[in-house]
Amino acid sequence: MTGAAGTSAGPALQIRGLGKAYPGVVAVAGLDLEVERGEVFGLLGPNGAGKTTTLEMIEGLTPADTGEIRILGLDWRRHGPEIRARIGVQLQSTSLFNKITPREALTLYGSYYPRHRGAEELLDLVQLRDKADAYHITLSGGQMQRLALALALVNDPELVFLDEPTTGLDPQARRGLWDVVRRIKAEGRTVILTTHYMDEAEVLCDRLAILDHGRLLTAGTPLGLIRELGIPSVVELGFAGTAPDPGPFAARLGLEVAGRADRWEIATQDPKALLPGLLEAAEAAGVPYQQIHVRRATLEDVFLHLTGRSLRD
Amino acid sequence: MLLFRQFRMEWLLYSRDRVAMFWAFAFPLLMLLGFGTIFGSGAAPALTLVVAGEVQTQAGRELLGSLEQTPLKLLRLEPGAAAARWAKGETAAQLEPAGAGYGLRVNTYMAAQGQLTAQIVQRAALAAQLREAGHEPSPLPVQLESPGHAHSTNYAAFLLPGLLGMNLLSMGLFSVGMVNVSYREKGKFRRLAVTPLPKWIFLLGQVLHRLTVTLLQSALMLALGYFAFGIRNQGSYLLLTAVMALGTACFMAMGFALAGFAETSEGYAAISNVFFLPMMFLSGVYFTLDAAPHWLQRAVVVLPLSPYLRALRAIFNDGAGLAGQWAGLGVVAFWTAACFLVAVRRFRWA
Repeated sequence: MTGAAGTSAGPALQIRGLGKAYPGVVAVAGLDLEVERGEVFGLLGPNGAGKTTTLEMIEGLTPADTGEIRILGLDWRRHGPEIRARIGVQLQSTSLFNKITPREALTLYGSYYPRHRGAEELLDLVQLRDKADAYHITLSGGQMQRLALALALVNDPELVFLDEPTTGLDPQARRGLWDVVRRIKAEGRTVILTTHYMDEAEVLCDRLAILDHGRLLTAGTPLGLIRELGIPSVVELGFAGTAPDPGPFAARLGLEVAGRADRWEIATQDPKALLPGLLEAAEAAGVPYQQIHVRRATLEDVFLHLTGRSLRD
Repeated sequence: MLLFRQFRMEWLLYSRDRVAMFWAFAFPLLMLLGFGTIFGSGAAPALTLVVAGEVQTQAGRELLGSLEQTPLKLLRLEPGAAAARWAKGETAAQLEPAGAGYGLRVNTYMAAQGQLTAQIVQRAALAAQLREAGHEPSPLPVQLESPGHAHSTNYAAFLLPGLLGMNLLSMGLFSVGMVNVSYREKGKFRRLAVTPLPKWIFLLGQVLHRLTVTLLQSALMLALGYFAFGIRNQGSYLLLTAVMALGTACFMAMGFALAGFAETSEGYAAISNVFFLPMMFLSGVYFTLDAAPHWLQRAVVVLPLSPYLRALRAIFNDGAGLAGQWAGLGVVAFWTAACFLVAVRRFRWA
């Protein structure tokens, strides 16, 4: 049974005016997005930004209040089963039956699709071979995440949704997951993921959208968004304990100094030119800084610039 | 094929919960053994009548003589001892001097035994009075017989179909209804919601699994009934199986339907009890309702378990065919269809 309008050309996803409200809170409002085939697209934002709600509306789990969604050129109302057969989903948290094993789960879920990949190759891909026959309830959080990822790929999907795929993973497992995402992309699939980690967004995403309080703040490539800021570098002065008020020092310097919890940040176009004068002035003013760090601007800075808040709220 | 895989997975997961599976089979068997043994083979329960003091008249002696012909156990006590026993609440009925003759005192806390004893005493008293007047009492012959003319007074035989029906009811409301609400509440269905698995295959897989479980349970109960109590199915096994399949379908549909109205396990427990408790107690599983008020008897037949058990007993205990059962089975079939429709409309993955 083939859907009428499903094509292999055209965007993987198109959203117009997507919105969802719960009593007392607007989760998502007026969202417009377009995701091209074969790209890794990220939804970046702090907790509560509406990323998961957005994703679940796109996946057909939660009904949208307003807006239109077209996945692979198809419409949920008319082509539900076909869409489900062509997408793979990793939920934010996957709850499976207690005593099912990874191998059984992959075989069972695979059987729901007209075409599916073998359990063995998927177990290898996410490195769950040695736990293939363990009851789900005995798996660690990270192992459950990896199984959920394997399940998302079981039907050889064209479009893969990953909701916060590295939350709760240790650094090594995170790197492992990033590798899997790169593999998925190399296989020609489209990936849409949500995250609140800026390094993940920068490393994995071809393009991304930044969300806050259910609204789209901006969208573009990671590098493009950072360049738009116009501040390629940031000089950080780190303090032991709470950073003092930078006001007086900033006045003396004639530059903007942003005070964060335990550090001062000074944006600059040219750190090499700034540094000598800065250090001298700091010395002269007796600023008790412990560390100095020069880094390039990141998506965190972009978010800060747009909202005045940190991604990690 | 997919349906068979689902069915097999249901059995696999079910069999991994050893404890639950054990009790699912052991519990009904224990109930049958327990109740069947306790309530024995229909012999009349031993009733005790306390005689607190003697009335030394001809009539009084006649009455006591008459009482000794009855199956009552007479306990002659001094008035003081009798009063002490009464105060402790151990006496169901007491015969005591009242005016020129005897009177009866019945314990309200033991009304069932007490009333029964009182009736036997009244009959003995009337018989004694008849004899005194020179007549010989001639009671009518009484024959214990079921609607299908079966003669067994074995309570276990009455109980067995009741337990079979009860088993189906709790399988439907709890094993199906509660389990689904609980899984949904814990989010275990969410992952399924994003797959193309059709809801009906999922539900049917569950239904088939539970159906095979109940068939096994029923077979075990019938075997135990036969070996422990000599109870045999008096009707056709084919008909019995068909009627049991109908019962399974009915109560499972009810479970699914109710599950569609509850968000949480606690909510489901409340909703299901509204149906479960009246049916469990009032539908004739353990005892019949012939002594209950008329309005209650008429109200209970609206719920499906009553007519279902009547049909089941007719087949099992009386060897009846389908002939007289259409009305009762019709009620059950109606409930099945109605619950199924509600279930399908209200079933959600999350």
